[in-house]
Amino acid sequence: MSGSHADRVLPDRALPDGALPDRAHPGRARTDLPLRIGVVGTGFMGETHVAAWAAEGIRAVIHDVDAGRAATLAERHGARVASSLDELFGAVDVVDVCTPTHLHAAVAVAAARAGRHVICEKPMARTLADAEAMLAAAREAGVRLFVAQVVRFFPEYVAARAAVLDGAIGEPGVLRLTRASFRPRQPAGHWFFDHAKSGGIILDLMVHDLDYARWIAGDVVAVHCRSASVAQPDAGVDHAVAILTHRSGAISHVSASWGYAPPTFTTAFEIAGSHGLIEQSSTTTMPVMPSLLAGAADGSPTALADTGLAGDPFRLELAEFARAIRDGTEARIGAEDGLEALRIALAADESARTGAVVRITPGAR
Amino acid sequence: MAVDAQGRPPVRIGILSAEHVHAPTYISLLASMPGAHLVGVWDEDRRRAATAAEPVATRVFDDVDDLLERVDGVVIASANARHRRLVEIAAAAGVHVLCEKPLATTVVDARTILDACARAGVHLMTAFPTRWNPAARALESAVRSGALGTPVFLEGANTGTMPDVHAAWFVDPALSGGGAVTDHVVHLADLYRWILRSEVVEVYAVANRILQERFARVETGGLVSMRFANGVSATIDCSWSKPRSYPTWGGLSIQAIGTGGAFGIDAFRQHLGVYGTREAGISWPAWGPDADAGMLAEFLSAVREDREPAVTGTDGLRAVEIVDAAYRSIAAGAPVPLG
Repeated sequence: MSGSHADRVLPDRALPDGALPDRAHPGRARTDLPLRIGVVGTGFMGETHVAAWAAEGIRAVIHDVDAGRAATLAERHGARVASSLDELFGAVDVVDVCTPTHLHAAVAVAAARAGRHVICEKPMARTLADAEAMLAAAREAGVRLFVAQVVRFFPEYVAARAAVLDGAIGEPGVLRLTRASFRPRQPAGHWFFDHAKSGGIILDLMVHDLDYARWIAGDVVAVHCRSASVAQPDAGVDHAVAILTHRSGAISHVSASWGYAPPTFTTAFEIAGSHGLIEQSSTTTMPVMPSLLAGAADGSPTALADTGLAGDPFRLELAEFARAIRDGTEARIGAEDGLEALRIALAADESARTGAVVRITPGAR
Repeated sequence: MAVDAQGRPPVRIGILSAEHVHAPTYISLLASMPGAHLVGVWDEDRRRAATAAEPVATRVFDDVDDLLERVDGVVIASANARHRRLVEIAAAAGVHVLCEKPLATTVVDARTILDACARAGVHLMTAFPTRWNPAARALESAVRSGALGTPVFLEGANTGTMPDVHAAWFVDPALSGGGAVTDHVVHLADLYRWILRSEVVEVYAVANRILQERFARVETGGLVSMRFANGVSATIDCSWSKPRSYPTWGGLSIQAIGTGGAFGIDAFRQHLGVYGTREAGISWPAWGPDADAGMLAEFLSAVREDREPAVTGTDGLRAVEIVDAAYRSIAAGAPVPLG
């Protein structure tokens, strides 16, 4: 951390957990200097982040190349729009990058060079070179960089990690992680379906569990992956299974699917260890089971995992990043973790294409 | 000796070896099935034969030939590595064979078993009872009817407790042939072949010995990926990942993905939850239909009708070849071709 900018945004004392400046209720007794947040990109994840910031009492400054979209979203949350990236950089302390994946690096590097801290949606970038450029830019500018691997904030995944660290199952040996949903309902030609821009299901969806597998069982040294296309003739990959070998000797089976019927979004995991087993499935842990005759289908174009009343992981995530920036502390995921998750995902994508096992060197630069 | 519902005399069945944990189940079912006459049990360990025979009061044979003279078919439930010798003895006596899975511990033994039965003109069936599991049959129907569209991916898990709780030979590689990969790949591999009507052309596998506190001389964790000739990919988690505290032996599940959507099965989901005293702990007694009964009924019919059973020796051989390829892949650290 260096320079007058950081000095200005860092409060002189730590906030209690979860406490963030509440701009919506300025009358409340909050003495901390508020962080000013800018969100770039107003697609599905941009909307989610703007809403999460608003729930934390922060009205983000919003920028999108589609000014109309930005305006609509800003209006909903009483936020304001920046008409250019430079204008946004001038108005905020932290830039939250929610653009399409292939644009993460350009925005993040520019933000860092403008002296702004960066929060970047997962996957960290489209290529390892881009991710490394982001790390370098943040390091050179002395700003913080976080990658929003939100699964690390989902309560069931957090609880399982705590149980593992507590020794409940001994040494992790075999992991099975599943994330099953439907093909995002986006128009043909949407960046999401362009492998060159999004990296497809492996970089977009599987990366969640690749990161989690690494969080539980440590660095990954070999990756095998098979993929399939369900939505023919659309022909994009929409089902993939990776088998990971961790340096510890543990092995992981990671499945990601867009092959299910809407509105499916289920997640499940099993962590088997040297003397125990952890099981979790979203299908058996939903605490509310509505079956209402009115208003059956929701029109959301993309499924979002539902934690069943256990608290919004996006809020927890962004609040933790904000605290870490303000207090100069670590968050549970660093930028290097985001890069390693991307390295595994890119290896899986390569293995799915070539059929070979891809060996990787964690930490290589 | 009662005739069956169609007025036909029962098929005379003997049990060769009660070494396998499934033997008591087969004995109990055969003793009560209308089309079967359970003649008796032979085991190289007479006490084990007596223990197995006792609940249904069937005869214990000291001499295997003595039993073979009196039966039309046998169920072989020995340790895996002893299948070959017992099949050869039964086939030489002209007796039809239902052999516990895996058919053999090596591809060479499996081929020898097939050859012995072919030479003797006896029918050979491999014990893959999950083909009679109603959930597995529902998935097979969904694929056969086209409801699932063109299948593109099958993901399965057949995980359980380490079976040394039943018999020590399961974790002795000389008798079992291997650990979790040997024990738990074949059921799903067979179901996949049956559902897809296609053969495996490539196998990738990884394994370790972390689970069950590294006791074992064999692998306790394993993940297998395979590609079929029709282009479908499939995976199997075969790990002995259920700890002793688990309320049941394990389970078998498949998630099938096709152009028509997804179809999931959990073959042993039909169970109660019983929470008794602290000593009794938690148990999940099954109440679903018994797939073993369906498999045994098919063997009886095949013997009676002198026809090839619905699950053949070749099916057993193919599963052994997949297991063998998995071990070759583990050694190579890379996918290996098959067939």
